[in-house]
Amino acid sequence: MGLEQLLPAIADMTWQDLIMIGVGILLIYLAIAKEYEPTLLLPMGFGAILVNIPWSSALTQIDPATGEAVQGILNIFFDAGIVTEVFPLLIFIAIGAMIDFGPLFRNPSLLLFGAAAQFGIFITMIFATSLGYDLREAASIGIIGAADGPTSIVVASRFAPNLLGPISVAAYSYMALVPIIQPLVIRLLTSRKERLIRMSTTGHNNKVISKKALIVFPIVVTIVAGIIAPSSLSLIGFLMFGNLVRECGVLNKLSLSAQNELASLVTLLLGITIASTMTAERFIRLDTLIIIGLGLFAFIFDTFGGVIFAKFLNLFRKEGNKINPMIGACGISAFPMSARVIHQMGQKEDPYNYLLMPAISANVGGQIGSVVAGGIILTLIPLFA
Amino acid sequence: MSPTVQTALLISGIGMIGIFIFMALFYLLILALDKLLPHKEEAKADEK
Repeated sequence: MGLEQLLPAIADMTWQDLIMIGVGILLIYLAIAKEYEPTLLLPMGFGAILVNIPWSSALTQIDPATGEAVQGILNIFFDAGIVTEVFPLLIFIAIGAMIDFGPLFRNPSLLLFGAAAQFGIFITMIFATSLGYDLREAASIGIIGAADGPTSIVVASRFAPNLLGPISVAAYSYMALVPIIQPLVIRLLTSRKERLIRMSTTGHNNKVISKKALIVFPIVVTIVAGIIAPSSLSLIGFLMFGNLVRECGVLNKLSLSAQNELASLVTLLLGITIASTMTAERFIRLDTLIIIGLGLFAFIFDTFGGVIFAKFLNLFRKEGNKINPMIGACGISAFPMSARVIHQMGQKEDPYNYLLMPAISANVGGQIGSVVAGGIILTLIPLFA
Repeated sequence: MSPTVQTALLISGIGMIGIFIFMALFYLLILALDKLLPHKEEAKADEK
């Protein structure tokens, strides 16, 4: 009996498999040592190890004795949870249950930054098509700029399942790198004088929002979004359903379950299931590097879009009523990280400048904006591609 | 410029305008809800 029969995994191990096992260990290291999105990167890293050991029973294999396919658990999870979009949509219920739309009611105009900061999605999509990707792939790559993992997974699983692995890794990695990416871009685009702008929020911060308004909001948003773009309903509808459960006041137990148990369980399965696409033959390609580069491009141009939009609005606003352009950068979905980063940047420039409340309002707008962007892409791409 | 890039440009234009329209609608919705369903204590204070 030779080595091939005794230890087939060693006999069939390639250098590509070893690199991917290294990638898995790196993701686990980043999750534990650097705390970069540990809830996702740790399961993805461990999953990358699981699927890159040759003959792994976690993946579907052909039994050499019988010639029959033996289903692997990760493939079963993938077919049941990703192909059907069940996992990311369940995550949306959890996210909806976590979102407090109160800050938006206090500063509703900042909602518009949630639109401007989606600019990175579209500029990246254009750039990706110029590199030779088809529209479906380009849209899936561009959506990394939504800075919203579940939206990226939904769009990529529908339009480019072959690119799901690198897109997910890029989406979650860059979200963790918001504290590094955003300050660099903001400093390039703004003067110190602009970063020192104080925003008058007196009165807004303490404004009490009616419970009824917070209950009606998710219902009406679902109806409006559904009428305009029915394809977006699975994304927006599930987000708003989670929010209604939170705000209705009679389902506190369910709301807490959605925020904790549901979020934890689905995140656990989501990460390790996505890793099933991180096999060496799919991942060790030039495409992966390009997608990771394009993801960074998307994040940079999201921040660009938000900051430039704020500067544009300032052209029409009177002195004393100007918007600190850094707030524009909070229009991305990475909540509350982006708001916290901007608040800290503001305090570095001026310790008495409190930007946290408007930053949170814009950041909540970004959470809605990213889902709307995902819905719009799901609606538009099939019309053209 | 290839037809795919041109289509991507068109989609991007429609997409960005679409997002702004959506967000503007949500903005108006928030203003309307704030007016129609004010916080009770505020409403009482207004009545007084």
